[in-house]
Amino acid sequence: MNTIDTSHIRNFSIVAHIDHGKSTISDRILELTRTVEERDMASQLLDTMDIERERGITIKSNAVRVMYDADDGETYQFNLIDTPGHVDFTYEVSRSLAACEGAVLVVDATQGVEAQTVSNASLAMNADLDIVPAINKIDLPSAHPEEVKEEIEDELAIPADDAVCVSGKTGEGIHDLLEAIVFLVSPPRGDADEPLKALILDSYFDEYRGVVATVRVFDGCIKKGQSLRMMQGGEDFLVDGVGVKRPAETPVDAIGVGEVGFVVTGLKDPEAVHVGDTLTDAARPCAEPLPGYREAKPMVYTGLFPIDNKDYENLRDALEKLHVNDPSLVWSPETSVALGFGFRVGFLGLLHMEVVKERLEREFGLALIATSPSVDYHVYKTDGEMVCVRSPQDLPEATRIDRIEEPYLKAKVIVPPEYTGAVMQLAIDHRGVTTDMIHLSQKSVEMRFDMPLAELILDFFDQLKSRTKGYASLDYEFSEYRVSELVKLDILLSGDDVDALSFIVHKDKAYGLARGLCDKLKEIIPRQLFEVPIQGAIGNKIIARSTVKARRKDVLAKCYGGDISRKRKLLEKQKEGKKRMKAIGSVEVPQEAFLAILKVDE
Amino acid sequence: MGYRALYLHIPFCRSKCLYCDFDSSACGSSHEALDRYVERLIDQVHACGADSELSEIETVYIGGGTPSLAGDGLVELVRAVRTYCDPSEFTCEANPESFTDLLSRKLRQAGVSRVSIGVQSLVPDELAAIGRIHGPGQALAAIAAAKRAGMSVSCDLMCGLPGQTVESWRSTLEHVLAAPEAPDHISVYPLQLEEGTPLEALERSGGVMVPDEDFQAACMEIASDILSSSGYRRYEVASYALPGHRCRHNIAYWTGVSYLGLGRSAAGMLDLGAEGRIRTRQLDDEGLRFEREELTCREALAEDLMLACRMVDGIPPALLGRAARTVSAPALRDAVDRAVASGLARWEGGSLVPTRRGWLEGNELFGLFWDLA
Repeated sequence: MNTIDTSHIRNFSIVAHIDHGKSTISDRILELTRTVEERDMASQLLDTMDIERERGITIKSNAVRVMYDADDGETYQFNLIDTPGHVDFTYEVSRSLAACEGAVLVVDATQGVEAQTVSNASLAMNADLDIVPAINKIDLPSAHPEEVKEEIEDELAIPADDAVCVSGKTGEGIHDLLEAIVFLVSPPRGDADEPLKALILDSYFDEYRGVVATVRVFDGCIKKGQSLRMMQGGEDFLVDGVGVKRPAETPVDAIGVGEVGFVVTGLKDPEAVHVGDTLTDAARPCAEPLPGYREAKPMVYTGLFPIDNKDYENLRDALEKLHVNDPSLVWSPETSVALGFGFRVGFLGLLHMEVVKERLEREFGLALIATSPSVDYHVYKTDGEMVCVRSPQDLPEATRIDRIEEPYLKAKVIVPPEYTGAVMQLAIDHRGVTTDMIHLSQKSVEMRFDMPLAELILDFFDQLKSRTKGYASLDYEFSEYRVSELVKLDILLSGDDVDALSFIVHKDKAYGLARGLCDKLKEIIPRQLFEVPIQGAIGNKIIARSTVKARRKDVLAKCYGGDISRKRKLLEKQKEGKKRMKAIGSVEVPQEAFLAILKVDE
Repeated sequence: MGYRALYLHIPFCRSKCLYCDFDSSACGSSHEALDRYVERLIDQVHACGADSELSEIETVYIGGGTPSLAGDGLVELVRAVRTYCDPSEFTCEANPESFTDLLSRKLRQAGVSRVSIGVQSLVPDELAAIGRIHGPGQALAAIAAAKRAGMSVSCDLMCGLPGQTVESWRSTLEHVLAAPEAPDHISVYPLQLEEGTPLEALERSGGVMVPDEDFQAACMEIASDILSSSGYRRYEVASYALPGHRCRHNIAYWTGVSYLGLGRSAAGMLDLGAEGRIRTRQLDDEGLRFEREELTCREALAEDLMLACRMVDGIPPALLGRAARTVSAPALRDAVDRAVASGLARWEGGSLVPTRRGWLEGNELFGLFWDLA
């Protein structure tokens, strides 16, 4: 059923360190192949979410079909799968790679190989992909492509003689890159006569069409009206339609062997479709499903609470809808004395958390409070039982705890040599231990650390960037659980313990953090009618305090020429402001207070 | 029910003060635009007068801007109004630099009974810091001139000015009171940094230090103490008067009396009883275009409660009764309880009256009642 011979199909991803210009290269490819006319070009076409465009980052993978007329006179079908570059979203990369035969590895000609370049390259090599190195931003005066080629060979062990020099900005070299893809990336292998075997790469929920799944067909083909089965989920459905993105959704007759496209399932339950599952023909199923891929495991947990308790059910629905195309999202109900009903949500990292919270607020119109991030602690009780604690509130009483173990990471930082001292100090401040230092080249050193995940999720990345003027890059992976001396720090407002502000912290850092947090909260909490004492406590012992002084005056005295509307509007504005606050007892607390821990300067 | 109060707006000043975000254009020494404007305003007065809209007017207030800048034009305007009504109170705003002995006598003769003078401060540096173009001497002279002409005199004072101290604020108050001809009425306003004003930009860029709200609060309390001990009774959050000198026009604004506003950006209000009320604002110089806002009777009630909280007499039993009928009694009770519990209001002979704290925390108190809308 293929409209094109598989020998003329190339499926590839573009992988890169964040900011190395992956999205602009994708844009130029769409332009050069006239998939999108120049006049329709909005910058970074593949980043469809508002948040992606605003922040200039790719969060979700996206598959687009491009037809390329090559120099050999033949027309090739390219399926381009854009992938995220931030360390939080590594799992998305591995998902996308499972659908490809090749990967374009983009390296910035001015920055060279960075931590995410290394980890993405190794993901691509482990997936047995053909790699096309591309050195981007050669239009910049500070570009040094020859040295970058050496780095690619030395640090990644990838032959770089054929590396293509390109500029996503000017379009230079893009044609050469497309030719290199034709030559270097293998065509897909597969059998059109075998039973259908297709991988679900991604899915999203559409009000009208139900779940829409992005798939890569390995054997067989998918047509409208066909009856399909999800091998893992077990559910059968009738295909409502098939199509490809160019990049607008375009219906096609079929998705054949080696092709990438989308399937309209008509399924109304977002949970019915699992990303990573294998699709097959219900009438003639294949014997074995495709290997799924590494499941993304949440690293960070925060509480998400609707400011208005009535939104609890809406929040649950919204999480379910987001989960359809973000299977890494996990949650369980959580109750807070201060904030009411909400959820403890697991994220891949803090950026992931910010993105999800922002999507929930924008796409679902919810006003949310996020509480301090926590990791998954293993608490061994005196009775021998082990409990996983992801929220400070769930920590058993100190007398019932035998020991607490926390997750440790192996972190890898690549940095110019002049910053190694600063990075080492930063690691020490974050309870990290340097385990290795490798001089990759004259310009870069790879430093390895063992450090607790809890330290990394706070402000490590931001501080790393600021202390190295943005040069350092970071990658990490979980290593093991280790025993730590951890305590629960409680925060009291006007003498009342506010559970949502509690925090688990290392004993040695508790005093400094308590002081920092009390001071930060004093800045964040606006002055009220009465004085608000803020206290930090471990158990019954107060270890830090600050005070929000009582507000003395809040009045617009002048009543201009009978203009009462003006006064009323002021009161309305004041009321709107209060809606963004949460009343804890009689204290009005702004949303950001609950994440104040992230803003404490140590 | 017709209009019982009339407001006329003169949106011109010689130069614009740094803190002002009100509708007023600086016209320097050229009065052409101002004169033309006043002529049109007089036309509007005649038009309304001919429609019998002015026949029940009891109080008139000409504000600005700087009405005294219009000189004889202002006198003409007063005469025009007096053709149609005989108000018991007729106030003109004036700034010291344009308020002469002669003008005050002409205004008195034409029927003006009260003058409100923008004194703001008697410290030269403080006046300069907010862009006022008069000195302390001119201000005291203006008060004296108005008094000599036989008018009731009010003056505006501001606290929270750049460079102001508790001592300098005291001294301004004391000097105003010690003058041979002291005013009968004093208004005390804290400086408000309004968005888009030069002063606000200056403060944001660090070019000027503006005292904080705690200082303003202290100043308001000092004013309250000094003025009460000199016989001035605080009858509204910002207003102090010797017996018999309360501003009846302003009281009309705060008690739901219908008023007509003429002139560019002048606000007007027509109360329709059970039908709610209509608020208007004139958008042009000719009186042809108006912005219109309709309030439900709930909103009108909430507005009356909020405004009543500005005044020393607070919310009288009759208004509380109307409130209980218009919104629900439990909702009203809740707002009242909260006001009393937070020390913003207290009961006094069946009325709910604001405490000193309630006046300082006005927005909190007003907000409680506006929320009933």
